[in-house]
Amino acid sequence: MIPIIPGIIPFGAVMGSVSSEVGLSFFQTVMMNMLVFAGASQLAAVDLMKMETPVIIVLVTGLIINLRFLLYSAAYSPVMQKSRLLSRVFNSYFLTDQSYAVMSANEHRFNSNDEKIQFYLGAAVCMFIVWQISVIAGFIFGNFAPKSWALEYAIPLSFVCLLIPSLKNNKYVTVALFSAVTAVILKPMPYNLGLITTATLSILLGIYLSRKKRVI
Amino acid sequence: MIQAEYFWLNTFLLAVGTLLIRSSILMFSSKIIISDRLKEIFSFIPSAVLPALAAPMAFYHPGTVDWLFNKERVVILLLATVVAYFSKKMTTTLLFGLVFLYLITQITYS
Repeated sequence: MIPIIPGIIPFGAVMGSVSSEVGLSFFQTVMMNMLVFAGASQLAAVDLMKMETPVIIVLVTGLIINLRFLLYSAAYSPVMQKSRLLSRVFNSYFLTDQSYAVMSANEHRFNSNDEKIQFYLGAAVCMFIVWQISVIAGFIFGNFAPKSWALEYAIPLSFVCLLIPSLKNNKYVTVALFSAVTAVILKPMPYNLGLITTATLSILLGIYLSRKKRVI
Repeated sequence: MIQAEYFWLNTFLLAVGTLLIRSSILMFSSKIIISDRLKEIFSFIPSAVLPALAAPMAFYHPGTVDWLFNKERVVILLLATVVAYFSKKMTTTLLFGLVFLYLITQITYS
């Protein structure tokens, strides 16, 4: 988990400083992090809430971003198949990009599912603690940082950092470029619908690009 | 300023929805099978969503640097993408972007 921590700290700090910049209280910031615990969707939600976007748009946008957790959930399901229902729900709360990455890289080292679950929980709780501390530090620092530092610009920069590892080949790069250009064009749509429309069109483009070609 | 009721409603719904997504397959793990094709489609989500979030934030910001047509945030975001690609480090990319933006705006003002 230690190699991943340096990547979590700045992202958490951005979340904290942005929360303080848009006027969320300390309690609201901490509670949002405890309840949602999904950085990218939280940042998007805070940005949309700042513009008083309708609840349904904030929700759908956040959930589209978090749909990738379905993949992680599917990847863990063989390991937790024999666990109790409550234990599965508890473990699923800690599913993040980082805990998934750490688990995937180390799964082969363990013989039993119990060992794998213990390792996963250890890594995930460590990630949870570091994330919360980083957000709190960012919140406190963000309250004192001068406007000229433009800390809110860290949001798009963070998204770029999260994007790069997912660009596995040219298809993903094409989808990302299409998404960026379309989002700029569709931004003036009412109720901030441009984001959801862009995400949907971009995923459809991904489906089209990755279709299996029929052999005649 | 974000209204308290509005904030809590959004946060609560997002929290419940996110937990449902996270736990859905784990809860019914013995009954649901996700095909490889569906996994491939899910893998496009970050490339489809993250640029859609980042690009308008930079493009529609009322910039201050005339010689970059007030689009200094777009230019720095493109440069930061290159930095992120080669460094693979969030800290390096954030520092590059924020420091570069600060310097370029301060130089223009002075």
